[in-house]
Amino acid sequence: MRAIEQIRPQARVEGLVIQEVADEVLVYDLDWDKAHCLNQSAAIVWKHCNGKNSVADLAQLLAAEAGLPTNEAMVWLALEQLGKARLLPERLAPASGQAKMSRREVMRKVGLASIIALPLVTSILAPTVAQAGSACTAQPCADTPTCVAFGCGPCVANKCT
Amino acid sequence: MEAPPFGSLKFLFLLSEELQKIEWAGEMKFISYGVRFGVRANDERVLQALSDHLPPLVQPTTAPVDKLYSIILQKRINRRRALLHTLYEDGAVMAQVDSLEELYHFFETCLQLYVADSAPRRVFIHAGVVGWQGKAIVIPGRSFSGKTSLVVEFLKAGATYYSDEYAVLDQRGRVHPYPRLLSVREAGKAIGVKHRADNFGAKTGKAPLPIGLVVATKYQAGAVFRPRQLSTGEAILAIFDNTVSARRKPTVALSTIREAIGGAQLVKGIRGASKETVATILKKFTIPRAF
Repeated sequence: MRAIEQIRPQARVEGLVIQEVADEVLVYDLDWDKAHCLNQSAAIVWKHCNGKNSVADLAQLLAAEAGLPTNEAMVWLALEQLGKARLLPERLAPASGQAKMSRREVMRKVGLASIIALPLVTSILAPTVAQAGSACTAQPCADTPTCVAFGCGPCVANKCT
Repeated sequence: MEAPPFGSLKFLFLLSEELQKIEWAGEMKFISYGVRFGVRANDERVLQALSDHLPPLVQPTTAPVDKLYSIILQKRINRRRALLHTLYEDGAVMAQVDSLEELYHFFETCLQLYVADSAPRRVFIHAGVVGWQGKAIVIPGRSFSGKTSLVVEFLKAGATYYSDEYAVLDQRGRVHPYPRLLSVREAGKAIGVKHRADNFGAKTGKAPLPIGLVVATKYQAGAVFRPRQLSTGEAILAIFDNTVSARRKPTVALSTIREAIGGAQLVKGIRGASKETVATILKKFTIPRAF
């Protein structure tokens, strides 16, 4: 287990389409067909994951750029979500003995008045053509594999959903 | 050619080459939003009926097509054999059904999706769209999310009809009309009843509009519509989640959506009855007139 001071998170860059929108960042993962929206705090942490900044460094940078209290719990919250979204090459966890904290627990610890400032990564699976359209509900079926073959949901009452 | 997985029913499958040997009653070619397609059938009545199931604003063309739909009506041989009509998209079986109504509905849906996914210079979003004071109100959502119900109430309130199916975005972020007949579903039925916009006292829009308001909503019985503002990123994700070509051209789709919502109000919330929801929206959100 690496000592926490040795953890230097590195952002994944390959296979991603990245677009900045005001203080948020949109990311499309070409490998997994997923789209992510990073709020300001998550975007700042991810931007500075250059393989050189430690978690403590990231906390300082987040505080400086977002005007938030300096606290590594916020960074870990971001890293956990970024790892889950596959925006980091590996999923990182706090050092042993440090329990994973929920957003509310982090907010209480940091003392933020609003949960909105906490790092947040929102993700969706990009829809297939059929899922984004109406075709599924017109597709007759005898079983669910029929519907799955057309990129649709389960077979209900002989119609795909 | 692979057989479609239709359970225990037995079918006669025709290879692409065999399709060429069918005696076709006729063939028609069209262009819609820059997409060229053809349709042929072994029965003249089918060709005539199909004209009611083409995309809106379609024009005939003599140019070569990129996609060919073939419809084979099976003639009854004896009472013991089920009548199955087949829809092909190029050489692939798309549907085999025993009802002409279902066949036409499936043809319309397949073609609609093909045009939406293939249109050059356009990004199609599954959404209801109305024009209000020179700007578009866009309601993204999948099937059965209640888009048409909301669109109908907006029309009754005086909005201009643009679509109950797609918001068609150009690269400048404007919404173009996709004015198909409104498909109003009755309870328990998958296929809706077609209505013209003027049945609700509404005009149909012609000119592209900038977006003034995006409403991401889902129906829940008894809910009161109390929307919250969405961030730009959240709104882009909500719209991208209903984008037909999301996987085929994600970069173009995201850029186009971002351009389209640049000056718009962006809200999300669970809603109840359509009439009250529309009244709330028109009262709560002042959409500045376009100049």
